[in-house]
Amino acid sequence: MIREIFAGCKANAPNFNVQPEWFRESIGRAAGRFISSSQSAPLESEIEDFIAQLQTEDLYLAVACANGCERAWWEFDQMHRSYLERVARHLASTEINAQEVVDTVYVELYGTRVVDGERVSKFSTYSGRGSLRGWLRTVIWHSLVDLHRASHDEVSLDEMTENVGEGVAHANLAVPSLGGEDSMIDEITRHRYRSATVSAIESAFASLDDHEKLLLLYYHVENMKLREIARMAENKNSPLRDWFQRKSPTREKNPESRIHESTIMRWLEKSYGKVLKLFRTELGTKHSLGDEEIAICMELATQDLASRSLYKNLSAT
Amino acid sequence: MGQIDIRGEEMRVQGLLDRFLNLRFADEGVKGGSHLDEDSLTAFVEGNVGEREAGPVISHLVDCTYCLHVTSELAKLQAGFADEPVNAPVAESQPSRLSEILGGLMTKIFGTGDGVVFAHHESEEEAEEEEPKEDE
Repeated sequence: MIREIFAGCKANAPNFNVQPEWFRESIGRAAGRFISSSQSAPLESEIEDFIAQLQTEDLYLAVACANGCERAWWEFDQMHRSYLERVARHLASTEINAQEVVDTVYVELYGTRVVDGERVSKFSTYSGRGSLRGWLRTVIWHSLVDLHRASHDEVSLDEMTENVGEGVAHANLAVPSLGGEDSMIDEITRHRYRSATVSAIESAFASLDDHEKLLLLYYHVENMKLREIARMAENKNSPLRDWFQRKSPTREKNPESRIHESTIMRWLEKSYGKVLKLFRTELGTKHSLGDEEIAICMELATQDLASRSLYKNLSAT
Repeated sequence: MGQIDIRGEEMRVQGLLDRFLNLRFADEGVKGGSHLDEDSLTAFVEGNVGEREAGPVISHLVDCTYCLHVTSELAKLQAGFADEPVNAPVAESQPSRLSEILGGLMTKIFGTGDGVVFAHHESEEEAEEEEPKEDE
């Protein structure tokens, strides 16, 4: 199988002088990672499917570049440099930074580190699982982060985040004092309900499926738009796609049908429903609260925490 | 006691969840420990992580705010640059020497191109072609 793939790639790029063993080794590394990603041994057909899905043309170019083939480098430069520059300009704050990042990435791709007498090219870490362009976007992104950190090296990561986190969390959940003895009793009761509310919402979230957690985190923490989440699930091999289309009659009819924003919204709504159920159960069983007290918890939560609409991003799509 | 307003409660729990997640996860900063490598990040964002690998990757993303953020940024970037065509190499133009391109970059970045190994693979034919020139 690998021999056939290699022959196809070589026919398309006969000047790259890629040796079969380099290519085989590279696919072997990717397959090795695939095999070790789970404790159970994969079926032979699973490994074949995995290899068949690799971006082998991109991998062939990367292998040639990793081994210093000038023709491959020239083609890479022709095909991807302007794209890299546009991505870097889009991400970087100034034109100088963008150019600096592209230059740094080129040097990194070529490789300046020599291990056991051999130069280590960044290209050798590309496995072909994603597109070369996608991988380059990731490399550019990381280079920009490194560049940013290097230019702010007087500020540690801890210092950069010291104004956020738990301290802010407590501050935001703190309740302004109303004053007076009556209000003090009221305050103790409120505190009890608030503690129960926070604990219950934490438990409810923790009980969710990892897919559901990821969806909620992308939507609420990363502020991703529904269409951006949908796009991540567009590839027919995406595990997210499988999950979003679970139990969907449309999937059976047309497994390659598009994932719509409405599908993502429906899953968000399902997740909210699940959280609500778990939240109520937690308050009822662990905190022994009745329906009326749960209603008070909800009321307090509404007062304390600003609500955001589920439909916030629909208008932007 | 009146009926429970499920829809109203869902909206409330949504607001509560939103605030909780933002307080709990958004500002955790970069934790120590290992992160997903560029290859896995790219494969995940492009939807090329198969079912077998998906479990560990998704579990990691749920626990690691750094990788979660990187995948989110990369997904937005991917959407923004989705329609960019790949330039076909221009057949007429001549490849410039790799060592020249990189040598220029090294000088620009580090002030010198010294110390960088510019060994590169050459086919036997290329090596043979160049030898007589050196003799001349």
